[in-house]
Amino acid sequence: MKDIILWVFGIDESALADPVTITAIIATFVVIAAALAALIVLLVKKRFQIRRFGNKVWQRTKLITQACFFMLTNSFMIGWFKGTIYQGKLKYLCVPGMNCYSCPGAWGACPIGSLQAIFNDFDAKKSWVDQKTGTYVKVPKYWFAFYLIGLLMIIGAVCGRFVCGLLCPFGWVQDLLYKIPVKKLRLPRDEMRIANSKHPKAVRFFLGVDKYLRYAKYAFLIIMVIFLPLLVKADPWFCKYVCPSGMLLGGIPLMSMNRSLAAAAGNLTLLKLCILASLTVISLFLYRPFCRYICPLGAIYSFFNKVSLYRYGIDDASCNRAKGCAACAHACPMGVDPVRDPNSLECIRCGTCAASCPKKAIRPGFRFKTAEGNAIRTKKSK
Amino acid sequence: MGDNMKKESKASRYIIPAAIFACGVTFVIIGIADKEVLTVLRKAAAICMECIGLG
Repeated sequence: MKDIILWVFGIDESALADPVTITAIIATFVVIAAALAALIVLLVKKRFQIRRFGNKVWQRTKLITQACFFMLTNSFMIGWFKGTIYQGKLKYLCVPGMNCYSCPGAWGACPIGSLQAIFNDFDAKKSWVDQKTGTYVKVPKYWFAFYLIGLLMIIGAVCGRFVCGLLCPFGWVQDLLYKIPVKKLRLPRDEMRIANSKHPKAVRFFLGVDKYLRYAKYAFLIIMVIFLPLLVKADPWFCKYVCPSGMLLGGIPLMSMNRSLAAAAGNLTLLKLCILASLTVISLFLYRPFCRYICPLGAIYSFFNKVSLYRYGIDDASCNRAKGCAACAHACPMGVDPVRDPNSLECIRCGTCAASCPKKAIRPGFRFKTAEGNAIRTKKSK
Repeated sequence: MGDNMKKESKASRYIIPAAIFACGVTFVIIGIADKEVLTVLRKAAAICMECIGLG
């Protein structure tokens, strides 16, 4: 048992002499047990049946699930107590969401950070010094990240952007910020409503370009996560210059617990703090701006939305859209019309539409027909 | 024709994600054999100065 604990926590036997370490190990078990207990209670109370209890109960279930998953994946309490990070073997594995591996509590690696790390790795045998310029030319060791891409394909094939909706810690942070009661910027779904809306001209312009801005996350993925680390300079470009999750979960806790790290703060720290602060403020008014416009991991998972095993479907026989109902489209915080496109690339599978539908016509799950034998449409309506 | 449509949708519903899943598993095995996991561990087990805003 002791050997297992030492292996899992990545510590020596000598570390067990420290009372802080022992306390932290006990705290880890308590946190994990609490998170699992909460999830089991939700399961037993059937709270994961999205359509059963209505939207209010589902939103509470969703937040609790997000909190539990954060606790499970960031419960390395030795890191939180001592201002260090986990260095054990579990960091071979990636967690599915945007969870910086420099978070003191993180058990696993961040998929986007790991992807860039693989592209940054260079083959010392093939690299050479350019005689003309004197620079050391690094030849990438891996031109394709089989391990990472494979992991993302496995997760994507099972559930698509479900990770974004319920498992991502930074998504959870944005959800919590959006709950703060200030006036919200809801995005109308058609051009006429944008033109007739009462928002100021600048806001109406933004609402109009929102659908084009959504493509920016694919640009962040291709340019900052793949192209620049692989072909320009061996740096984790996205993590270094953009990622707010790294700053929130890693930078701020570590710098507040380590004076030497805080003393090294400079212009880059300021840049990242500004990005984090901007997204924090915008998240008060607009639902999940990072997920909409920036997140490269969401961009990757979006490719799997239309082909994953877990999908959203519409029971057209029950749906009241023809009679003028648009409860799902009004409820969707990401601006998706679930009846028109139930597995849109922008859908984060938060379940809000299914919980809001008065006819329970939206069916998240693995089946393609209802118990009554009606077909469940998972494709776009014509 | 209705049965054909159902069979077709069953194929796309389950076979495509299963194929992607199998491909993903294959890629993971190749990645482990190619020691990419060591790169991941090396990066993840050290404090990423770039990630936390220290360059």
